[in-house]
Amino acid sequence: MSQWHQPKFDTVQINIFFTLCWRSLRPSATSWEGAADIRFQAGCLVVVLVTGLFFAPLISAQSIDFVRDVQPIFAEHCLHCHGPDVQESGYRLDVREIALRGGDLYPQLVNRERPAASPLLAILSGKDEDVTMPPDDEPLSRAELRTIRRWIEEGAHWPDAASVQLEPEQPLWSLTPPRRFDLSADATSRGDGLNPVDLWIAAKHCEVGLDFSPTADDRTLVRRLYLVVTGLPPSWEQVRQFMADRRSDKYERLVDELLASPRFGERWAQLWLDAVRFAESDGFETNHERPNAWHYRDWVIRAFNDDLPYDQFVRRQIAGDQFGDPAATGFIVAGTHDIVKGEDEDLNPTQRLNELADMVNTTGTAFLGLTVGCARCHNHKFDPISQTDYYAMQAVFAGVQHGEREVAPADLSQRLIQIDSLQAELGDVETALLQYVRPPVTHTSNVDNWNPTAARFLRFTIQRSSSAEPCIDEMEIFSSGDDSRNVALASAGTQVTSSGNYAGSPDIHRLEFIHDGVYGNSHSWIASTASDSWVQFEFPELVVIDSMVWSRDRSGQPNSYSDRLAIEYTVELSLDGLDWRRVASSQDRLGSHDLTVLIPEASDGERRTIAEHIAQLSERRLNLNRDLASLRTHPTIYAGRFEDPPPTFRLHRGEHRLPRETVRPQSLSAFANITGRFELADDATNAERRVALARWLTQTDNPLPARVIVNRLWQGVFGTGLVATPSDFGNLGARPSHPELLDVLACDFVEQGWSMKRLLRLLLTSKTFRQSSQPRTEGLNLDANSRLLWRYPPQRMSAEMIRDSLLSTSGSLDLTAGGPGFLLFEPNNNYARNWVPKTVFEPTDYRRMIYALKIRMEPDAVFSTFDVPDGGQVCPQRPMSITPIQALNLFNSQFVIDEAHRLAGELTDESSSVEGQIEKAFMRVLLRPPDDVERQWAAALATEHSLAAAVRALINSNEFLWIE
Amino acid sequence: MNLFSTSAMRLLDRRRFLSHTMTGLGSIALVHLLSCDGKLAPHGEESERIDDRLDDAVTHHPPAAKRVVMVYCTGAISHLDTFDYKPLLFERDGQPLPGAENLKTFQGAQGNLTRPLRDFRPRGESGKMTSELLPELGSLADEFCFLHGMTSRTNTHGPGETFMSTGFTLDGFPSLGSWVNYALGSENDDLPAFVAIPDPRGNPQAAGNNWGAAFLPARFQGVPFNAQRPVRFLQPEGGISASEDRATREFLQRLNRRHLERFPGDENLAARLASYELAARMQQTIPQLMDMSDEPEHILRMYGADQVDNPVKAQYARNCILARRLCERGVRFVQLFNGAYAMGEGVGNWDGHKELAQQYPGHAEILDQPTAALFRDLKQRGLLADTLFVFCTEFGRMPTFQAGASGRDHNPDGFTCMLAGAGVKSPLSWGATDEFGWKAMENITTVYDFHATILHLLGLDHERLTFYHNGSHRRLTDVHGHVIRPILV
Repeated sequence: MSQWHQPKFDTVQINIFFTLCWRSLRPSATSWEGAADIRFQAGCLVVVLVTGLFFAPLISAQSIDFVRDVQPIFAEHCLHCHGPDVQESGYRLDVREIALRGGDLYPQLVNRERPAASPLLAILSGKDEDVTMPPDDEPLSRAELRTIRRWIEEGAHWPDAASVQLEPEQPLWSLTPPRRFDLSADATSRGDGLNPVDLWIAAKHCEVGLDFSPTADDRTLVRRLYLVVTGLPPSWEQVRQFMADRRSDKYERLVDELLASPRFGERWAQLWLDAVRFAESDGFETNHERPNAWHYRDWVIRAFNDDLPYDQFVRRQIAGDQFGDPAATGFIVAGTHDIVKGEDEDLNPTQRLNELADMVNTTGTAFLGLTVGCARCHNHKFDPISQTDYYAMQAVFAGVQHGEREVAPADLSQRLIQIDSLQAELGDVETALLQYVRPPVTHTSNVDNWNPTAARFLRFTIQRSSSAEPCIDEMEIFSSGDDSRNVALASAGTQVTSSGNYAGSPDIHRLEFIHDGVYGNSHSWIASTASDSWVQFEFPELVVIDSMVWSRDRSGQPNSYSDRLAIEYTVELSLDGLDWRRVASSQDRLGSHDLTVLIPEASDGERRTIAEHIAQLSERRLNLNRDLASLRTHPTIYAGRFEDPPPTFRLHRGEHRLPRETVRPQSLSAFANITGRFELADDATNAERRVALARWLTQTDNPLPARVIVNRLWQGVFGTGLVATPSDFGNLGARPSHPELLDVLACDFVEQGWSMKRLLRLLLTSKTFRQSSQPRTEGLNLDANSRLLWRYPPQRMSAEMIRDSLLSTSGSLDLTAGGPGFLLFEPNNNYARNWVPKTVFEPTDYRRMIYALKIRMEPDAVFSTFDVPDGGQVCPQRPMSITPIQALNLFNSQFVIDEAHRLAGELTDESSSVEGQIEKAFMRVLLRPPDDVERQWAAALATEHSLAAAVRALINSNEFLWIE
Repeated sequence: MNLFSTSAMRLLDRRRFLSHTMTGLGSIALVHLLSCDGKLAPHGEESERIDDRLDDAVTHHPPAAKRVVMVYCTGAISHLDTFDYKPLLFERDGQPLPGAENLKTFQGAQGNLTRPLRDFRPRGESGKMTSELLPELGSLADEFCFLHGMTSRTNTHGPGETFMSTGFTLDGFPSLGSWVNYALGSENDDLPAFVAIPDPRGNPQAAGNNWGAAFLPARFQGVPFNAQRPVRFLQPEGGISASEDRATREFLQRLNRRHLERFPGDENLAARLASYELAARMQQTIPQLMDMSDEPEHILRMYGADQVDNPVKAQYARNCILARRLCERGVRFVQLFNGAYAMGEGVGNWDGHKELAQQYPGHAEILDQPTAALFRDLKQRGLLADTLFVFCTEFGRMPTFQAGASGRDHNPDGFTCMLAGAGVKSPLSWGATDEFGWKAMENITTVYDFHATILHLLGLDHERLTFYHNGSHRRLTDVHGHVIRPILV
């Protein structure tokens, strides 16, 4: 474009210019950002042109020539750090586009619209608060600075020939749309037992000269299938049944059976929980447990078991509160949370930014396989993710805080129906009771009557209040007879005393207001204690009284006060202030009623019938109220609290003290011409932001989510993904070993409704999966890692599989599913929790390991050393370590030795001969009988020492710990 | 759209050929394990799968030090009351700190400048002024390179401790010791390469972050034990006799060897075999290591391990002896903690917010003699020639007392750490805080610089010691750090 920036024009040229300019720009408008850029530049051109027309003679005399005037300054001062060899901060001054746009830290270094505001000038002249260039050398001279300023003012003209031309960039492979392939052809109909997975695996075999291994034997295959699908080994009986089964589709039947088992979700959820850094404590030094974080863990397990379509699985984790599945947002806040706050001004904002970074990073890696979090301080070094992209995603989560919130239960609609019906029954029961008792106390007016009685004193004692200290706005006591009058009034000379008066708001709450004849909260009395308070009236003379009327707030206002109600009370009279006689109480009012007061002597038949009726109704009422209360109580879960989002700023270098322009919630710019984009207004609500992201993430034209999850599932089945870096599909990540297969599976996955179980079934029934894992020389020579799947790659079990398999084999496993986790550590209440591994276990501690309360950064004593992630950062794939500490833990810990004894004890009961016991031990642990040599070794050990010793060895053996 | 720089692209190209498979990385561990045993030559393909890691024990440049002993004072030991001498602080005792009128630090408002707890006096030939609070360590002043211009990035203990140990204030990054282990492995295959020795009173605040491996394979994590709590599960629990234990292991290994015949050359399976043999050797070597009955009386006395009337000191002294014994046996990285959090703020560690005068003398008594003895003992046995001695803490403390309290608040802007031993110049004082000891002003040393220098002394280039994790080739020093060359011999 810049060749058009000539200083001299005539009108014809201008017309031609615009025509050409528009034509040449349109095709290159490939992204929305690009388009914005073009609009801006076109506007700028008008200015230049107009300026050129009117002032051309003046300017041309002195105008700056880039090559002559500016380039030498760059060459002298800048290019050794920002040139062809070195590009500090990703910035270079020999490539026009980068020089004008900026490197990793600035989005636009040269501002043609407002030249004086160009950050480049500020940086070179030492006026930028953060960066001064050149850093250590002599600063630019005034003349040099002037030249650069004028060059920018004149439009920063930079001829093509004076710019290094970079080769066009390869688009990121994972952003290209997946290629399609028809998978509908029934694989078995081909007659060679190959399903579509096998076709692509075989194709790669052909390229390198490999072939499939033979099918694994039944015992190996069944064990592998059980472990991969459910995380638990089969029993010997299950293996035997399979071997005895003569049906041709017995394997496919078993796959279906295991995928339908509730154990399936308990195994596969772990893969996801690792990838989203789920743990049930805050991390950092306090590391407090989160007792209500398990809801999210259970939600993930349930989602796998119910085969929740993956697009919904994604959407609900971002905005489940908006999609009727609130527990799913536990995802957003499954990471660390520093609860140590201080007075220092930098501390809290930095902590908050770290929380948001954790949410952004996890969202980017979990769903998109893109390390968006890397662009917090500068543009991503390797992938097309700008710093603005990072803050646009941060803006989506700007209103999400760590913490618990009350959520509507999953069965809300059923509950509402139940509440309606119980409420109706309660109405009936109370109507029936009101035949015998008075209505409960109300805040507007309560009447108590008694037989006319002479008294000098009346005492009103409050046993219980509905909330806080009780309040009474007015109390009227009436003399009996035709000329009944309120004898309580202060104006009548009555004195009032009390057990104590509330100290707050003395303008509106005073003892004397109780008998001042004025109604309403603003002239009322509040007691000093919530229970057992009293107020006492002393009349100026003996009066005969028979009733009283009292209230909490008799103002008649629509929003009159109904709290602080005296719901249990007694009225007593006295002649002398010493002897008191009770004349009324709440004991005959509904709710406070007391059968022994209502019917003191239930001797005769009729009275007894009534008493029984009242008792029955009362009990029913109590139960109904209890049930209603429980139905109305909603669970509180650790799934984030939602607030109004504050504005989001792009932060220079990611530092909170260096805010730049505001950034709106938006989709990632690199996807603009793939998925289109969303951009929300600054005042978009918290929910709108997350819903927009959730929907955008699961658009069917977004190539990444399907590829990423298909790859994770592949990894779960074969140990390593087709892409070996499962949360990084960027330039620094690995390339797919079978790119076509990944695409084929991803397309099929979306077209067939995002079903994870369906995809797994395809993988599990493949010949590829069913191969033997035995090594073959030619395979090892060509592909030692078995990435090309010329055999099933043998793997060590995960920590969870080891513990669960051990307990399952010994018979100790408790299969109770869901709910709060069991604790692998001693409970403690230190402010900075001191998590010490337990040594003595409760029966409830023998559940599957996924149900252990996951304390962040704390390894449990025995199993964590088998590469359990710490929950500090995301863990898309576990390393596989082999260490002597593992050996010590598994060979010597009380936990494991106890299981050996338990199993040995059971086997001893079953069989009397050592040989028989050994036989059974092998079948139980290794799912096969021993051969003669093994039998001989084991029998010798059992005879000389114990059967438990043999079992202890078997549960430590490679054969037990390996998925073959 | 080109959002990333060409330099980055070039770097990328260099790395593209490298595989990222974790199974590949897992194999490194066992290749090391087995090659040490001479059981298995490294597989021909391994070198390419080793990612950015060095070949076993091959360094980037000739190392000055072969191992590290790191004394870590948790709770933030006050530089002002120990090694950073500020005469003006004595003079202006009770006066306001200029420029800090409305300053709020971690716990809030500041009171006035407060002089150090004890007087300072010149030590050794260098005449370095250090506090009488730590006379024994002070007497070693000529041996140390004091880094007085240290800064941290956080003023809270957990993140601060984590930062000093991992280079990040967040959870989930590998510790310095695990990086060193990853790079260099062990000199002694019968012991873990990285041992963390927690204080007798309990764990530091950030606990396992200090010795965790995070996303590095678990093999590289530190094994925590001390003279009071030995390695877990070293012997079988539940009264299994030694002969039964031996026979059981023999049977297990026979099973495993037989199983391996079905998977010839499988390195993972072979490594598990080897791991049980190594575990068995550890059952021998660790009790020998822990048994201090062979330490002569004068050595116990030198460390203060005989002081039964001060049990915490005697226990910490035993931990110091343990540290020396680990060095003697070629353990690569020993991290020795002084201070624990379990007892609360300042009670069992250096977090002196409220009652500095009551708490610090007790802490000093525990730290001073045993730590100085450890240093002297390493020296007299010639170990210091190839051992790097590190003395550190998470951050410093304020020159003022907190408003309404008799102690100092957190100060991440200036504190002191020390290096000594192999490859380090001494006596030397490098860097300085301002005249009150508040902020580092001269030759500021970040924790990144500190880590880069430690790695450099071990022959490692902190920019080249990397591990791929989730989109980044992670480094101990993130994207920061400069080796402090002027302090190197």
